[in-house]
Amino acid sequence: QEEAQAIDQELFTEYKFSVDQLMELAGLSCATAIAKAYPPSSFTTSQPAVLVVCGPGNNGGDGLVCARHLKMFGYLPTVYYPKRPSKPLFEGLTTQCEKMDIPFLPEFPTEAEFIDELYGLVVDAIFGFSFKGAVREPFGSILSTLERVTVPIASIDIPSGWDVEKGKADGLQPDMLISLTAPKKAATHFAGRYHFLGGRFVPPALQEKYALNLPAYPGTDCVLQLT
Amino acid sequence: QAFPLPSLPRKQPTVLVACGPAQNGAIGLVCARHLRTFDYEPTIFYPKRSPDPLYRDFTTQCEKMDIPFLSYLPTEVQLINDAYNAVVDAVLGAEAEVGEGREPCAAILATLKHIRIPIVSLDVPSGWDAESGGSGGISPDVLVSLAAPKECARRFLGRQHFVAGRFLPYDVQKKFELNPPEYPGTECVVAL
Repeated sequence: QEEAQAIDQELFTEYKFSVDQLMELAGLSCATAIAKAYPPSSFTTSQPAVLVVCGPGNNGGDGLVCARHLKMFGYLPTVYYPKRPSKPLFEGLTTQCEKMDIPFLPEFPTEAEFIDELYGLVVDAIFGFSFKGAVREPFGSILSTLERVTVPIASIDIPSGWDVEKGKADGLQPDMLISLTAPKKAATHFAGRYHFLGGRFVPPALQEKYALNLPAYPGTDCVLQLT
Repeated sequence: QAFPLPSLPRKQPTVLVACGPAQNGAIGLVCARHLRTFDYEPTIFYPKRSPDPLYRDFTTQCEKMDIPFLSYLPTEVQLINDAYNAVVDAVLGAEAEVGEGREPCAAILATLKHIRIPIVSLDVPSGWDAESGGSGGISPDVLVSLAAPKECARRFLGRQHFVAGRFLPYDVQKKFELNPPEYPGTECVVAL
């Protein structure tokens, strides 16, 4: 977890990347990975409807970017975003989604069955690699509901609620994990079908410094399928 | 897509990216960074740097990715032909009015007119009028129209014309009657 935070810090302070730049590339990776693993034609629901659940921090921001790109790729995303930071970055991302006619739910579906009926996929953009400590409401109940959902869940960077290093045996079991920048320790506990790497922006010098040993991305793709 | 790595004639996948002082140049900086990620070896010529903090950060990102910045552009065209596989023209965009006549853009364009390796122009071939096109200006091999093709793209005679505009929201597309083509899969560019 500390290493991930250190890499992030270096990207912002030494390399002068803006949060906007990296978040856009991260969100685009997530949408691209989803499009590869769950093409619109594979959905059993009549429309390729996707529920994107966004948390209160940067992972939520990644989710907003992902939702926007999913719309452009032909999906029908719906966002649930209960705790919104009042920062221009997140307000901007929200507006971009709204102006693309992406609905924002006023309430979270109360039953897992409702989610299963309406959506073919759920994107978990609740908590990321900075997550520590207890899960605060409303996310505790949201995660309990998601744990009972049967449609596939794609988690951005870390399955929400998991310890970033040790995982959580009785927690969320996503079908897909999109690791951003590099897989975190928790990824060793990932048991779903699809593990993608995204966030193709780490400069070679930084990869060497932290001995990331990232495999090569294919061609100009922004994602790499690991499993 | 237009110049995949295995297709390059030179031993090293070198590309020269010529960046002007405004937005078109900044886009060139971002392009250079991604080319580096794609394993090309870009070199940047950026004689007149913008004071805009965003563009200054783009410059830092490139420097920290070990992308060299030339201190001068050789006027001897053969040197450029020999050293690089292609040139990215990110000198002037659609907003340029008097930029063409001013240094250092005029000198860059004068040199680029005589090179024989392919040129990829970003949005508008530099020196062309964004609407009527250009005569006697540079003749790029590849044009990448940003958002949507400009009027002058009708005069483009090169090999490949790409549009990079997948980010445009639908209501903007409708409002300006852009009628964009379908983008394949998850690609962000489409060849016209």
